[in-house]
Amino acid sequence: MKRSGFIASTTVGFTRALSHALMSEEIARQRGLLQALDARVRVIGLFALVVAVTLSRRLAVVLALFVGAAILAVLSKVSLGTLAKRVWLVVLAFTGVIALPAMFVTPGDPIATFAGGLHITTQGLMTAALLIARVETAVTFTTVLILCTPWAHVLKALHSFRLPREVTTMLAMTHRYVFLLVETASQMFESRHSRTVGRLPRAEQRRMVARSAGVLLSKSIDLGNDVYLAMQARGFRGEVRILSDFSMKPRDYAGLLAFLCAGTLAIWMGR
Amino acid sequence: MHIPDGYLSPSTCATLYAGAIAGWYAALKQVRQVLLSRVVPMISVFAAFAFVVMMFNLPLPGGTTGHAIGVTISAIVLGPSGAILAISIALAIQALFFGDGGITTLGANCFNMAIVGSLVAYGSYRLISAGAGISSKRRIVAAAIAGYLAANASAFVAAIEFGVQPLWFHDAAGTPLYAPYPFHVALPAMMIGHLTFAGLAEALISAGLVAYLQVADPRLLQSTSGMAMSTEERAGAYLAASSPRRLWLGVALLMLLTPLGVLAIGKAWSEWSPAEFAAAGSRAQVAAAATMPTATSPAGMQRLTTLWTAPFPAYAPTFVRSATFGYLLSAMFGVGFLLALSLLAQRYLERRRTTRYFP
Amino acid sequence: MALLFELEDVNFEYERIPALRGLSLQIADGESIAVLGANGSGKSTMLRLLDALCFPTQGSVTFGGRPLTAELFHQDGFALSFRRRVALVFQNPDVQLFNPTVFDEVAFGPLQLQWQKHEIVSRVSATLELMKISHLRERSPYRLSGGEKKRVALASVIVLEPEVLLLDEPTSGLDPRSQSQIIDLIQDWKGSSKTVITATNQLEIVEDIASRIVVLEEGRVAANGKPEEILSNQQLLLNANLVHAHRHSHGTYEHSHPHMHSHSKHEH
Repeated sequence: MKRSGFIASTTVGFTRALSHALMSEEIARQRGLLQALDARVRVIGLFALVVAVTLSRRLAVVLALFVGAAILAVLSKVSLGTLAKRVWLVVLAFTGVIALPAMFVTPGDPIATFAGGLHITTQGLMTAALLIARVETAVTFTTVLILCTPWAHVLKALHSFRLPREVTTMLAMTHRYVFLLVETASQMFESRHSRTVGRLPRAEQRRMVARSAGVLLSKSIDLGNDVYLAMQARGFRGEVRILSDFSMKPRDYAGLLAFLCAGTLAIWMGR
Repeated sequence: MHIPDGYLSPSTCATLYAGAIAGWYAALKQVRQVLLSRVVPMISVFAAFAFVVMMFNLPLPGGTTGHAIGVTISAIVLGPSGAILAISIALAIQALFFGDGGITTLGANCFNMAIVGSLVAYGSYRLISAGAGISSKRRIVAAAIAGYLAANASAFVAAIEFGVQPLWFHDAAGTPLYAPYPFHVALPAMMIGHLTFAGLAEALISAGLVAYLQVADPRLLQSTSGMAMSTEERAGAYLAASSPRRLWLGVALLMLLTPLGVLAIGKAWSEWSPAEFAAAGSRAQVAAAATMPTATSPAGMQRLTTLWTAPFPAYAPTFVRSATFGYLLSAMFGVGFLLALSLLAQRYLERRRTTRYFP
Repeated sequence: MALLFELEDVNFEYERIPALRGLSLQIADGESIAVLGANGSGKSTMLRLLDALCFPTQGSVTFGGRPLTAELFHQDGFALSFRRRVALVFQNPDVQLFNPTVFDEVAFGPLQLQWQKHEIVSRVSATLELMKISHLRERSPYRLSGGEKKRVALASVIVLEPEVLLLDEPTSGLDPRSQSQIIDLIQDWKGSSKTVITATNQLEIVEDIASRIVVLEEGRVAANGKPEEILSNQQLLLNANLVHAHRHSHGTYEHSHPHMHSHSKHEH
């Protein structure tokens, strides 16, 4: 176990979160295919495609959708390298590990036998492939949506679909404060990391985490109280109001049609 | 565990979304009764806090690490409704913004962690800490146990969701279309990880935070302490100290009805037809993989199990009518029944005490 | 000048710890006041009371002759009008930046006051221009520097064109350039008809931003007068923990006497 390994790994998680957000802002500013469409169309369209992925029962269709997702990404200025590094490999590692035993465990027609009576069945291969393909494709669609759309627009799109106002506000506030808390937490951890000489005994590590969590909780609650006051100070009386600015242009209708057709086709062919 | 897209069939996702929406609706309604505007920033902040907690890699006894959820401390400070909303929001942001968990499975994740988690955490915390002073050690223990139970309850429900997949959602050749592991693999796989790592992590964080709050800001532990609060304390609390019994009853009902719901869905959505199982060979193999046949079982249990499995059409494959499956559903029914009993008992006991709440 | 605010024997407790004890003060319309006090002297609490974000446990806070009470704020009409006329800028800008983008943040106030959409858009744009943050329009708050955050926070309140500005340590933690920008702004307001009350413990800027100084010590007014009087009263400043005395050196000569924290400023 590395010296204070858990601090390092937690800090890595924090940095990943921040860099993901920053990248998203960069890409959302570019002029790509998705960026040209109304945010609502993007949200509906990409959600529809994720649903299509889940509904399709044929591997071929899921793979076709995957290719579609990759093309959409490239046309929207999301590089395949970025996707591979941030999404595809990660999913492969996680779901791959989960899917691997299925090749051996699923009953059916064996196509390869190993020592000790272990065999791989067609069904096993197919189920593992299907699972991995589905997860990869779905996550690609969601990631591309988020990389190309500012979070505020995603929320406003959801709000226009009748998501309760308070929920939209809470999603917005939470997102904003996640970064503040992540920064605070990572600063606390970094200062600990640099001050720790040699390995901390496990019990001491646990105490440290509990204390950091406690301090973070206190700060969070104070923040919550103060934000409420700040909202009141500017006239908030309990009813959330949101300013939204969407208008559909012809190309948005075209885009919507394209998405829905693609989704329907995929569902029909994959039934 | 955050379930990604593709692990659960569309019908499973839809059912769990329905369950989640019911939970969200009930939680929102209860929170609106208090001062929603005031609670909006607080829930947001707790959601952000839970989000960060889920990223903490906690060092556990034995040299391992685990991740907590933060649902227990949220339930202890905000009450079950606030916790349901806070954790759901954290999960939504993780799924939407960071790709951690799927969007078709967001309903399932929220149901497992936010709803079942909050209710189990809150209920067990209240039960175990009943009557203890705000600074009592018993509250810390209660938080630890509540955290452990909540994490494992979430995992258990998820395991059931996984286990059901290969049972019903496969193609003609017997290929599972979604999560590929039957009950006897999925259950231990999920539960072992949570009974050890994740459960302990959640227990540790919850206990640690309650101990911290007892010193730093005991007022935050007031609204869920079950103690009388003065009018000004109640005005300052984040959630009215009203009984969450209705929500609990809802859960008990849900668990009681789940076996029936599962059956109904199975009948309505089942993708199989008699022709697909004409190949006796593959049918037997699938059956063998999914069952752990037991030689004998108590007569009463037998009757109960056949109660669930009988409604299936005669041509349904044998494994659906297996004893294991029946046991599982009976277990769910049993837990739901016990829950309902304990709620009624609580209500009876509370009625006997003098009124504790100021109007 | 007309009396705008009157605090009479105000007591305020926060979790049973007294923050203000018997504070009495009068503020006239159009004045520029600096409230000096060490941390914990009650400055922030006083500003929040003036903004009716909390109410005294004893005593009264009157605005234009009307005592500010919780019941009064239940009425939409009065509440919305007060919120537009009196603005508070918090010490921690993160508390005031809770919207997804800078534009949304500045638009929050007007939205709550239910202005028309086109008016909101044009006023917000104008305010962003004024504060020189138009280029930050679509940015998220967590991406901003300390100085930028402060300017957005200021923009979010001045978009409403308030008559009273309550500023809680507006220059703390800022780099020199951002500090001077804020001071310039306050000086502009000082010359206008706005009432500006600035809480600070930075003695160097006080003369630039105020024509009257109020010194708080342990929750009550310790002194109240013109800058020249207050700033020359070393004993008072020492008692109020606004200056310190420790041994320091000028070249090879060493001595000790009360002085402000920015050691560069004092001369002999």
